[in-house]
Amino acid sequence: MTVPPYTPAESRTRDTFLALMWALSYPGRIYQLPDAETNFALIAETLLDLETSYYTPDSHLESALAQTGAKALSTGRAAYHFYTSLGESELGDIREASIGTMLYPDDGATLLIGCKLGSGMQMALLGPGINGQQALQIDNIPEIFWEIRETVCRFPLGWDVYFVDGENVVGLPRGVRVERR
Amino acid sequence: MTTLSDLAQPRQDYSYGFMDAYAKRELRRRILKAIAIPGYQVPYASRELPIARGWGTGGLQVTLSLVGPESVVKVIDQGADDSVNAANLRRFITRMSGAETTTDTLKATILQSRHRIPEEVMQEGQALVLQVPDPEPLRGVTADMSKAHQLHADSDYGQMWLLLYEQLVRYRQYIQGASYPSLVNGLYIISPSPIPRWDTPKLHQAAHLTLLSAGREKRLYAVPPYTDVYPLEFSDVPFQVEDQQGWVCKTTGVQNKFMNELPQEDGTSQYELSDSGYAEKLVKNEAVGATYYDDQGDFYYDGYLKPPVQPSL
Repeated sequence: MTVPPYTPAESRTRDTFLALMWALSYPGRIYQLPDAETNFALIAETLLDLETSYYTPDSHLESALAQTGAKALSTGRAAYHFYTSLGESELGDIREASIGTMLYPDDGATLLIGCKLGSGMQMALLGPGINGQQALQIDNIPEIFWEIRETVCRFPLGWDVYFVDGENVVGLPRGVRVERR
Repeated sequence: MTTLSDLAQPRQDYSYGFMDAYAKRELRRRILKAIAIPGYQVPYASRELPIARGWGTGGLQVTLSLVGPESVVKVIDQGADDSVNAANLRRFITRMSGAETTTDTLKATILQSRHRIPEEVMQEGQALVLQVPDPEPLRGVTADMSKAHQLHADSDYGQMWLLLYEQLVRYRQYIQGASYPSLVNGLYIISPSPIPRWDTPKLHQAAHLTLLSAGREKRLYAVPPYTDVYPLEFSDVPFQVEDQQGWVCKTTGVQNKFMNELPQEDGTSQYELSDSGYAEKLVKNEAVGATYYDDQGDFYYDGYLKPPVQPSL
């Protein structure tokens, strides 16, 4: 029997998933998505279908997300939030994002946030997935975002974040503590 | 002229990795949530596979959602690469993905296992997929699954402690052999699948990622790398691994690794290494990696395992 074909779509979504999986397993380390241009669309293609939901304030991204068949829902109900950048109104959206419940913490949202990695604020990450401490340098994320996260993410409640910069992606699960320098 | 191929249906292969795109996306979404919430049992759809539920379909689905042409897969069953279950799973995975297979723990990128963690220390970037028959550690104290779910939500593990206490009162030791209940990241108790107590400490602050998946029960959970995992123990009666002092492998002559006991006709026993991949390397005189337990039986993580204490009642 021949091996089923490893199609380009299969390869694309698998590589994207592996980047997301390892990024979440080793928070703060940078992993590569298969393409820098279409990064958010790739993540959408990998994770979204008609069984789940999304929210994005970005009109350019909207059509790519809608094509997956996923439902466009309000900030409080959407499972996946896509923000190409964070401004005042996006921070308001993030405040409303689902953090799950003690019975179903997996209902907490996943946030995908565009940013600049490797410059800007220095941080140390501690917690599960991290051997001692992990340094992370990140820019274009307002200070207030970290304050919201500290208030909202009380393990096991909270949201899980992916920071996306071109092809680079960094995971920040809810259980990781962030010390800003 | 019409040819036969014009009339034939276009060729339809299986999806890559057998599972269709919907199944894979759903499972991948659930895997990410499981990693984000260490020890929390995430429900998932658990699709039908050409292998009966209860024969490793949970682990198989996780492996199929990770595997690719460049993957190197090792499948073990009770430590052995050559048992029927392991051989069949391995053959199916490689037929559906074209992935290379190996018996060498250190070469594997994905290691699917039924009931053992290998002797050699697994490394960063390796994924250990454990097949789980019963994901619910509280099943012994409550038959009602929705109640167990609520107990996890409340971190109400009083009955588990009572169970351990009763074991000490009756037997003066913890008697649970495999699936020893363990606290992950200080919050959720998991069943680490029926790995022997010998293997439970290997999950603590491990470099590799562990995914545990129960196909029949449709739940999966994860122990991310570098995460605290402590077997339940009272502070004055520490958890113990199996005492196999003096057991020597009949083929390789090594000690202080997990052994299979082979009863002999004269009533005595012989022993052989449970980890067949490790044994194979020793027999062929190949280089072996560092092991979780050294030749003296000391665990690689200093101070994690404590000397035995017999409780006085």
